[in-house]
Amino acid sequence: MKIMTALVTLCLSFLFSTTLFAQTLEDRLKALEETVEKQGQIIQEQRGLQESLRKQEQTIDEQKKLIQKLQTGAGQNNPSSGSDGTATGPLTPTGEMQQQMQELVEKVDQVAEAQTRTFPSIFNPAIGLVGETIFGYRGKGALQTGSDRPGGFDVFQRSVELNAAAAVDPYAKAYAVINATADPVTGEAALGVEEAALQTTSLPWNLELKAGRFFGEFGRLGYIHDHELPFVNRPLALAQYIGGESRTDGLQLNWLVPVEHYVSLTVGAGDQFGGDNPPNAVGDFRHGSGLNYWSRLSTFFNLTPDIALEPGISGLWNPKTDAQWADPGAANPPFPAVNGNTFTQRERRLYGADLVLSYKPLSNNQFESVTWGTEVLYSDNRYDVTDPSGSALPSSTVGSVGLYSYLTYKFHRQWSTGFLYEFLENEVNKQDKTFAYSPYITWSLSHWNQLRLQYTHTDHNAVSGLQSDNAVYLQWAWIIGAHSHGWQQR
Amino acid sequence: MKSRTYSLLSLIALAALFCCAWVAPAYAEKIRVVATLTDLADFTRAVGGDLVDVKSLATGVEDTHGVPMKPSFVPIMNRADLLVLVGFDCEHAFLPALLEASKNPRIQINRPGYVDCSKGIIPREVPKSTDHSEGDVHPYGNPHYILDPVLAKTAIGNIYNALVGFSPQHKAEFARNRDAYLAKLNAKIVEWENAVRPLKGTKFVSYHEHWPYFAARFGLNYFGTIELKPGVDPSPRHIQVLVSEMKAEHVPIVVREPQFPEKAPKRIAEQAGATMVTLPIMPGGVPHTETYIKMMDYIVHTMVAAVPAKK
Repeated sequence: MKIMTALVTLCLSFLFSTTLFAQTLEDRLKALEETVEKQGQIIQEQRGLQESLRKQEQTIDEQKKLIQKLQTGAGQNNPSSGSDGTATGPLTPTGEMQQQMQELVEKVDQVAEAQTRTFPSIFNPAIGLVGETIFGYRGKGALQTGSDRPGGFDVFQRSVELNAAAAVDPYAKAYAVINATADPVTGEAALGVEEAALQTTSLPWNLELKAGRFFGEFGRLGYIHDHELPFVNRPLALAQYIGGESRTDGLQLNWLVPVEHYVSLTVGAGDQFGGDNPPNAVGDFRHGSGLNYWSRLSTFFNLTPDIALEPGISGLWNPKTDAQWADPGAANPPFPAVNGNTFTQRERRLYGADLVLSYKPLSNNQFESVTWGTEVLYSDNRYDVTDPSGSALPSSTVGSVGLYSYLTYKFHRQWSTGFLYEFLENEVNKQDKTFAYSPYITWSLSHWNQLRLQYTHTDHNAVSGLQSDNAVYLQWAWIIGAHSHGWQQR
Repeated sequence: MKSRTYSLLSLIALAALFCCAWVAPAYAEKIRVVATLTDLADFTRAVGGDLVDVKSLATGVEDTHGVPMKPSFVPIMNRADLLVLVGFDCEHAFLPALLEASKNPRIQINRPGYVDCSKGIIPREVPKSTDHSEGDVHPYGNPHYILDPVLAKTAIGNIYNALVGFSPQHKAEFARNRDAYLAKLNAKIVEWENAVRPLKGTKFVSYHEHWPYFAARFGLNYFGTIELKPGVDPSPRHIQVLVSEMKAEHVPIVVREPQFPEKAPKRIAEQAGATMVTLPIMPGGVPHTETYIKMMDYIVHTMVAAVPAKK
């Protein structure tokens, strides 16, 4: 019946499509002839398929009968056999039948199992490619806004990320993220290793060790890739205090605390921390103070089946950041200047507290949810200060605060909207303050294709010397190949 | 130096505080089992009896592919002796990340504690390619085989084997429990087949492709899905085509799974002159369906009631 329906539908489709567009009678006749010919072919194919199906059904029936026969024989002759079908006793004619049946069952199992197997390329890593383009318009120029992007119309291929991940052996897995980013000025794409790390999978005592280049666990969004953020741009506080994504070359140990409640503790040490921060200079000999150290503690509470609270605290400490700037290769170290005085960072401390409160109804969380996320950072940095003549001034400690808070409401499987509020005190001069307000709306055509429109109004105070401005962004992100629903993106 | 020491001590104190806030209880004697979905939890309780302590990640109302990835699942999985799952990549959206976060080597893939209930099931609808132009396809085939009660027996067999493998000294008890449950299930299967017999050949559509195994078992005709592709919402054009095809073919039932919005199925049912029914896809999905048998009872009786003329 189904085949007939398909045939009739197919015939009607062909008739309709071909006759509709035929311009002349001759064309129509020709089209009809072609259609009839095609129909003939289709009917032949369908007959072949029917025959093949009939044969398969016959084979299955025969096999079923054989199994039934063997089972009946085994059951009648050997009532003592276990309910799991285990054969017992010597190889009598009944035993032989049982063995045959066992072999047959094993063969059937093998066939069934083979169907669930995948390709010989299973040893290859899972590979995915992520692309992200930002179309933007900013009302004022880069000099007036302090942005690394130009004012006016801007098209920015922010990233093309190649992801690969696979198990290394029974004890570890590895992954790499190779990222090509366009230069803000020249547009030239520069290829870089964003992450390449080994992660243990079988350490005892709930431990997990990560080594290599990776995004260190600090805060809630610091280790999330740009295209996975809930809004277009990385919050100002993360961009300035961490330097973008929390990239590090180092070692990180995570411990799932063995209690009934979820508590996760992470500690790490690395050469650098944050995308814009250069690694500490190696020099002739490096002490432990030349490294960055970080830690994060997070937990989770089910307030109701639908409402959850996930708080966390983080800390970052670099005891001797001046080593960073002592790199002889750094011809123009980015010393910040305030009121004509030059600030050289000597020690870097950063504390963070974050909170995510979410409402995700169990029954339709793919269609509706509300997420409120907030992260507050306190940057406590020590600086050596020199005046314009190069004379040393008393060292300065600047404690500045940065925060962001967002609320996202998902009202459809494809649609969500939200608002992001940001506040930032400059890490060198806390009197320099920036505020930003960003409503955004996201359209996820599918898991792998997403558009986001965002408007951002940025206010700077007078101390900053920058001007307030407005910007509109359209972000288009896509994924091809393998994609994982990672723990960090939950 | 003093402040550095102070910072370090503060961090350690805070960590200690968190750790001490929840005192770890003494481990229970029972076999700790985590099931991804409620039907598997029900089977495990039936076979394991008093010897198992079963927890389900899903409560029953979730989409089988969309169980929220809650950190509170992690300690439960961390302690589990066995993880019982549907397989065929049914849990791909939440299980791999949870497994990694659980840091429990006993239940990792290919370990004895990883109980894939799809073993021995011949899948339907195995895609010829796993291109995303076909939506969120399952590369190993449709994973919703448990809605066929005969195939559910294979899942029960897999659970039984895993329990026996973990605790062979209790084999007799597990076998007794299994046989008792299978006897009950077999009787129910006969009852369900008799109940659905008048609907043989009846066409129906559903929101997601949950029902091919169910349809095949009970002789129903699974006509199509409201979703454009798996995981992809329907377009207006798709709905229009579906409604006209349903009218032409006199499709009398639209199945809405409770995880999906009512609006589209209801409108399609109205336009096509069909009856919309809300059917659970695992126990607990709608009230009074706490067990697998109760759920199947509900599904069968609701389907039968939806087509009174054919009775």
